[in-house]
Amino acid sequence: MSEQLQERRTADTDSETLVEVRELRTYYESNRLFGGNPVKAVDGVSFDIRRGETLGLVGESGCGKTTLGRTLLRLERATGGTVRFDGRDVTKLAGTELKAWRRNAQIVFQDPDSSLNDRMTVGEIVREPLDVHEWRMPGDRRERVRELLDTVGLHPEHYYRYPHQFSGGQRQRINIARTLTLEPEFIVLDEPVSALDVSVQAEIINLLEDLQDEFGLTYLFIAHDLSVVKHISDRVAVMYLGKLMEIGPTEVVFTEPANPYTHALLSAIPVPDPTAADGRIRLHGTPPNPRHPPSGCVFKTRCPMRIKPADYPDMPDAVWDAIILLEDLLAERERMMGTIGWRVREMIGRTPAVGTIDEIYAELFGELDVPASVESVLEEIAAAARGGNHGRAIERLDDAFGGPCSADAPAVEAVGTDTRFSRCHRHQEPYPSPRAVLEAQSPE
Amino acid sequence: MKGASEEMRLHDRVRSNPRPAIVWAVGVAILVLLELGRIADGLVRAGDITRIVLSLIASVPLWVGRNVAAELPGSIGMLMGNVAVIITTALLMLVIAPLILRLLPGGSIADRHNVTNTPEYRLAVDLVVVTGLLLVGFAALAYTPVGALADAMSRTIGDGVRTVGHLPTITGRETIPNEGHRLPDGGWAGTFLGLSPAWAWGIRVGVIYGYAFVALAWAWVGYTTYRSYYRVADWTPRDDSINRMRRHWWGLFGLTVVFAFVVMAIWAPSLGPVDIQHNHFQPYQHEFTYLSEDGEVESILHGSANLDTRSQGGASTVGIWSYDQYDRWAPLGTATNGADLFTVLAFGARTSLVIGLVSIGLGTMIALALSLITAYYKGLIDVLTVVTSDAIISIPAFLFVLLISVLFQQADHPIADVYDGGLLLALIFAAVYWPGLWRSIRGPSLQVAEGEWVDAARSYGQRPMTIMRKHMAPYVATYILIYASLLLGGIIIATAALSFLGLGVTHPTPEWGRIVDQGRSYVGTSAWHVSTVPGLMIVLVVTGFNALGDALRDAIDPESTGGGAADATAAGGGG
Repeated sequence: MSEQLQERRTADTDSETLVEVRELRTYYESNRLFGGNPVKAVDGVSFDIRRGETLGLVGESGCGKTTLGRTLLRLERATGGTVRFDGRDVTKLAGTELKAWRRNAQIVFQDPDSSLNDRMTVGEIVREPLDVHEWRMPGDRRERVRELLDTVGLHPEHYYRYPHQFSGGQRQRINIARTLTLEPEFIVLDEPVSALDVSVQAEIINLLEDLQDEFGLTYLFIAHDLSVVKHISDRVAVMYLGKLMEIGPTEVVFTEPANPYTHALLSAIPVPDPTAADGRIRLHGTPPNPRHPPSGCVFKTRCPMRIKPADYPDMPDAVWDAIILLEDLLAERERMMGTIGWRVREMIGRTPAVGTIDEIYAELFGELDVPASVESVLEEIAAAARGGNHGRAIERLDDAFGGPCSADAPAVEAVGTDTRFSRCHRHQEPYPSPRAVLEAQSPE
Repeated sequence: MKGASEEMRLHDRVRSNPRPAIVWAVGVAILVLLELGRIADGLVRAGDITRIVLSLIASVPLWVGRNVAAELPGSIGMLMGNVAVIITTALLMLVIAPLILRLLPGGSIADRHNVTNTPEYRLAVDLVVVTGLLLVGFAALAYTPVGALADAMSRTIGDGVRTVGHLPTITGRETIPNEGHRLPDGGWAGTFLGLSPAWAWGIRVGVIYGYAFVALAWAWVGYTTYRSYYRVADWTPRDDSINRMRRHWWGLFGLTVVFAFVVMAIWAPSLGPVDIQHNHFQPYQHEFTYLSEDGEVESILHGSANLDTRSQGGASTVGIWSYDQYDRWAPLGTATNGADLFTVLAFGARTSLVIGLVSIGLGTMIALALSLITAYYKGLIDVLTVVTSDAIISIPAFLFVLLISVLFQQADHPIADVYDGGLLLALIFAAVYWPGLWRSIRGPSLQVAEGEWVDAARSYGQRPMTIMRKHMAPYVATYILIYASLLLGGIIIATAALSFLGLGVTHPTPEWGRIVDQGRSYVGTSAWHVSTVPGLMIVLVVTGFNALGDALRDAIDPESTGGGAADATAAGGGG
């Protein structure tokens, strides 16, 4: 099998696509009894993985990158979209076809402590996939397991040891050996080194790279540690709130990020030079609830480069930031106060202490010099919110200040070359690009 | 343990170093030979039970056929009845076929004949082939002389085993007899070496417990031999648990009590100073001899003698550690009906153990299967199980048991007759207590189902059944073992309590609770022992099971801090 694989690999061109993901969506709790909003863990993601390459997938925790990896392997059921593996849609596979396909795609989990059944010996663990697929005769299977243990840098005599007797790095090697047993073409590495010591991390990364060369493997490398991704990946995809924000060759993405979110993410990498200027872009707030993603661009609530509304060109940056915060707060209040629980508590006069609209205004705009044109709109919004009509308030705010970022979701645009894509309104004319905005800000 | 030696299977490893294994096997052989008669007797009983179960299953098709025939008129009914018999038989065979398939060496039949296709197709071929073969085989047994031949053969084998079953054993009553009569000149006739019945009985009890202890110790020796000479893994997670258990004194106390209790149940026929058939079950069909006051050796029926030895607080009371007026040795005195209390209690231990094991076995199986299935699949089946178990739990357990047992007894259902209601009680306990067991292991099951190794197994296409059995059950089974041993004590109490109320196990099958009830009114008299002794034994045995359960929990899960959930379950189990 591995010989066949090698042949196929040399015969193919480098750019052949192995995994083709289109509009993939994975929603949780979408089939609840009373409907309700599903958690949109993965929401319309499209990308390709080419044979033999490593695609890095980065993003904050909770952005859906692990769910994406699990959905590709059919550990989660896709809500919509397709995953084509060698041209075949695997989201619809079932029964024996699914089982046969599973040989081709494997996963290495993050936590080496919980990904091994510690009631079984290492040999039994690594051998199980072979037993499942009834690979040759039992004697051959034992022999193959010994070879694999050797391949991943363990000793063949570890066959009869138990996982308890190994360190974290060694356990991750056992995990890797198990994924290799069936000679898969594609492996999802779900933060394979983030639970390990730094010194061990390098060993495992090197092992993974060696194995990729030896067996012609294709990796999807999921991580939040950007330096590791930079080291191992050929291309990088950046994910935020279930959407892919940017994808492109590692080198270019890291040196010249296109998307504002990528800018922010990269600026968070610590620079080992105390004299270097702190170019860090600070994001305010926390990622929004994936059950209620913002309308328009999902990053608009935290974006440091959000496009200002055209009607108010003179608005100071500080006021603009405060308005973005106000938008977020109003949405939050609407969700909270719309619930039945809130109404009941209101009736019995036991609402928790949330500030009134005037308190929020005082905090946000109290020390700012708000232009008169903005002031009048803010008054209208406050009036609507005071009356409890948050929907009306949000509508008014959106109408006046929403701008393009709120109006519609940004399309995926090729940036520079045709290998690089990003989702941002600033890639369109007439708005200045994120890079230009950043450069305009930095001289201060 | 390096290189080539690892390749070898167990029998190869034994062959390369046979000494320890041979020593152990010789020990086992001696132990078996000493008790060959009893083991053969046990086999005969097991065979009898199996035959009853099999004939029950075999009668299902005919029963279905008769019902179908009775529902439809005339010849159509006859025809459809026959069709129903055939269909039901085929269905039964289809259920049995997978079991046989699993036992078949060399795997799939379809594989051997190069029928290459999908696994489902291969499985279907295998099932059809095996079912067909079974049908042909059964038809041959039922309608051709082959059947008579097979019957004769099984009869011969059965008789052979039965003959072996009559061989004397080292722990048998015949080997160390204690029933005899006093001689006019002061000695004893008919007892072991002419010793007094008390001594002879004491020696027999000593031999029984000695033998049981040696057997247990030898099993431990076998385990350590395997561990140090033949096991390839130099360490397993279980080793730690066993080592912790060995240092757990409270647990060892529990183990000792449970061991004594189980030995009492197994060797009940030999332990009693009198034969229970003679003394308790059929007292008016068996005689014994004694030295009368006139110095004559006379015969008397057990039943007649029992009338003079009734412990009811009067002059006829026979107390602890004494002879009755017919020179029968009564180590724990006599019961209110004059039968020997120790003999009855030993058989009562058997009753409790059988009821406990059957109900816990069934309940554990239901709870384990449901917990694995609900934790793995979640969704609707989980909701249904939660609702069902909550519905059962919401009814006070003891009341529930009472209601069902009265219902069956009033309806005179045949199941209520087996073991004088013992089987019915066991089944009811299983039905009532599985929700508790299921709930207590639900947490661990859900936790295990979320384990990444379960996802890993799914990622390479392992079947759900195998995932549950291989990757989930071992983790959950340890927990259920703890709760089962705690609950066993509760079931013993509940059985005794029901029998005390006159509802559980009825006369004549001995039951501790019923004996407590019978002696209840004499607690203040010289016959205080009738209630007190079985009462204390219940307390001791239940404490023993709880201690064992605590120790198992500490051994398996050393981070748990004693008390807490397990204790609550134990208290709940006490009903």
